[in-house]
Parts: sequence; C-alpha cells; structure tokens
Amino acid sequence: MDVQGYEIRDDLLYTKEHEWAKVVGADVRVGVTDYAAKTLNDVVYVSPPKVSTEVAQFKFIGTVESIKAVSELYSPVSGTVTKVNAELESHPELVNKSPYGEGWLIEVNATDFGPESKRLLDAARYATHLRAILPKS
Amino acid sequence: MPKTTQFHAYHAGHAKMTDFAGYEMPLWYSSTLDEHMAVRNSSGVFDVSHMGRFVVSGEPAGAFIEGLVPTQVQKQAVGKAFYTLLLDERAGILDDLIVLRLDEAKFMLVVNAANAAADLSHIQARSPPQGVRVDDTTGSSAMVAVQGPSAQSIMQPYTELDLGQLKRLRCAETKVMGQRSIISRTGYTGEDGFEVIVLDATNESPGRAMEFWEKITAASKPCGLGARDSLRLEAGLPLYGSDMDGTTNPFQADLGWVVSSAKTGYVGCDALWELKSSGPEVIRRGVVSDRGIPRHGFVVKAGSEQIGTVTSGTFSPILSKGIALCRLRNEGTEPGATVTIAMRDSEQGGKTVRPPFYDESIYGWKRHGKGN
Repeated sequence: MDVQGYEIRDDLLYTKEHEWAKVVGADVRVGVTDYAAKTLNDVVYVSPPKVSTEVAQFKFIGTVESIKAVSELYSPVSGTVTKVNAELESHPELVNKSPYGEGWLIEVNATDFGPESKRLLDAARYATHLRAILPKS
Repeated sequence: MPKTTQFHAYHAGHAKMTDFAGYEMPLWYSSTLDEHMAVRNSSGVFDVSHMGRFVVSGEPAGAFIEGLVPTQVQKQAVGKAFYTLLLDERAGILDDLIVLRLDEAKFMLVVNAANAAADLSHIQARSPPQGVRVDDTTGSSAMVAVQGPSAQSIMQPYTELDLGQLKRLRCAETKVMGQRSIISRTGYTGEDGFEVIVLDATNESPGRAMEFWEKITAASKPCGLGARDSLRLEAGLPLYGSDMDGTTNPFQADLGWVVSSAKTGYVGCDALWELKSSGPEVIRRGVVSDRGIPRHGFVVKAGSEQIGTVTSGTFSPILSKGIALCRLRNEGTEPGATVTIAMRDSEQGGKTVRPPFYDESIYGWKRHGKGN
C-alpha cells in the first residue's frame, strides 16, 4: 500500500511513532517505516540498543539521525534484544534504501507479544494514522 | 504567515520546506547529503534572499560605518568584501555580516535574516549623519549563492563580468542576464564561489531573477538550508544564534581577527580593549567525536569535569564523523586536546581541532593552491 508516496507493508505491525514489528522465527524484528526514513532524509547514524538490553513497549530505545535531525526510537515490543543489525554501523543509508528489509534495526525476544501486538496498528490503521498527520495534498 | 522569497514557487514544487527566521525556505530538494557533496565536488546553488541587505550611501557613509564595526572600513579598497561584526557597548555580538564596498561612498551590508530588523534599528539608533542614507533593499532584491569548485564556470554564462578577474573577497556591480546585480566572491560553505544579488527584483515583479534561478538550478544542484548548515559547520564557520549571541564577545567567538587594533571610537571599543588585555576564559573550538553525532547543548568534559558545551554539531559527510563547534574553557583545550562528549545515553571521546574540519589541500577554496 502507498500513502502519498510512503510505502506501507501489509504484513507488518506499526507504532504511531513510525516503527514496525514483524515476527521472524522466535523473535520480533523491529525497524522504522518508509515514512520515518523519508522524513529524516539521509540517515547517517543509528544508535540502537545493545544485545541483551531489556526493552519495554513504547519506551525509548535509541536514535536514528540524519545530518540535521535526530529521531527517537520507541520499541514496539517488550523483551530482550537478541540481535542488532551490524550492517547499519557502516551502512546507515540502508535505513533509507530498504527500511522494511536490509535496514531493519534490532530483533527482540519478546516476553508478551500476544497481548502487546493488539496495541500496535495494522497496515490499514497505520495508513489512516499517516493520512491524518500528512498535509492534505 | 511566513515571508517568502522571489523563488518560492520553484521551492514549493521541488523542496521540503521549513520555517527559518520568519521565512518559508527550502530545507532540502533531494537529499542533504547529495547537496553537500555536490558543493564540495562540483557546485550547488542556494536561495539566500532571506538575508538582510542594507545599502548605506552618501559621502560620509564610510565614516558612519567605521563607527559601527571593529574592522577598518575606510581603508578597504572599493571592490572589497569583508567580514565583520556589529557589537553592543559591552562588546557582545549583535550580528555577523559581510560588507561590500561598492564605491567610495556606497556600501552593502549583508546580515542574518533573524537579526535584520534589530540590526536596522541598531544602525538607525546611531543617528546616520546628514548626507547618509540607509536603505533596506532586502525585499527589492534576490540573492543566490553559487558555491563549489565549479562555481566560476557555472556562473560565468549569466554575467558580463569576467569572473576570472574577480578575486576572493572582492565584489563588483554588474549585470546578470541583463539585470542590475552585485556579485561578490564570497560564501558560507568554505568553497570557492559567488554570492549574487539581483537588484530590482521584488516578489511581485522579479524581472529576470526567476529565469536566472531556473537556469542556474538546471546547470547546477539546488541546495537547501540543511546542506547550508552542514557545509558551514564543516568549514568551521560560526552561526549567529547558535555559536555566538549577545552574550559572546569576539574573542570568545574566536573572531578576534576582525578587531583592528588600529582604530577606536566604534560601538563596543572600550569594552573590547578591556577584554583584550585579559584574554577570554571560554573560546569557540572545533571538536571531532570518535562516535556519535554531537548536537547543540551536549555537555563537553575533560575527565569528569564539565569544560563547556556543544553550540552546533552535525555529521560531516567528508570525515564520516560527528563534528561540532563548542564553547570550551580556553585553558587546556588547545587543538589536539582530548575531550569527552556527553551524548544522550553514552559518553564519547573526541579531540579538539582548529577548523575547517576537512583537509584544505583536498577541499575548500584553498585547494589546488588557488589562494586567490
């Protein structure tokens, strides 16, 4: 789905702060949406939480930075960080090139994803949220 | 309603816009990173029409401006462009500006947009003597910066002035696409380049200014305020309102070089003499961070002791590292000193440097030994 040039994937769950979550194997993979990446413009630095960090749903976990701006990251899920995308260290531009693919940020061993996932937005609801915050074109 | 420039229709169709100093201005067109690198490697063009432009003219104009700035004015040759400061009586910096000496008795003052109204009041409060006119031409002219190593060849087709003969920090009255203009070899990027003031161009009746903008953006890369900020920071050029303000004196801002020791009788002079004898306790310095991006307000430490703050910071595309201008304790922070920057949730090491942050044999206007 495309909302004013911003891609939204049907198979992901979203936060209002423009992170996405997706179950991958036993863990939940987390990234930022195409809207977040495009709004930041060129991502030049990513500070994700370290492996083994405990994260809580909707709580601050790190930053994604462009030349001019700093965008805060909020975890869509509670649990323990099991993986960090090491590629972003040398290639932060992957967040722009492929926000839903190679530009993923972390994976979390979720403690309570069943109930927590109900507090996330599905693609249709995220699209509605995005339309509401975008200027009318 | 924010003000707009003569080129607003173009920006609205091509750029992500932002509010800046009361104007709606382009933040970026395609990508701040691409725009930044275009200026370092070839060329880029910026709409800087929001900057304040005052013409001070009349026989005693030189003597009048002499009383306003710490730099010698009447000794500057006609055709010179020079950087200086407006100070208050306590030598606090009111603004930084470029002065173009267009003629014996005609000067153009180019000031920051955010300070333009206050600067004009400050100048008028000094009671210009009989015979001096101060005209605000901001709204009746457009201003375009053409910057980068290819700037001369990009700009030359639009003017009859031989740009090869216009040396750095020089200016001339000429025509651009047949329209009265002023061109100076100046800029805010560290690169070679020109700032072009197209006269007789209001928003309602811009003459050929818009046509010039459309042609030059087709030949070069339009750049927004994002790249303007990262380029000036990488060049180590301070930004008024971030790296200095009314509480900062020229020595603290590391701009002591604009203060002429051969003159007296200007606003702030007495305070400056006192400051000069003691030396500044804090000073503006460059810092390169090992990791992370320093941002405005971050605390800088030596060991566990706070020694200053970041006044502006960004990511340097040339170094691929975080860089910052900081206000640091003078003593012990000489270039090469090790510091720590307290970032949001970590502390990162860094080193003080004398800007520019890039290697001047590879980037900037001095490259290729082009010291003109």
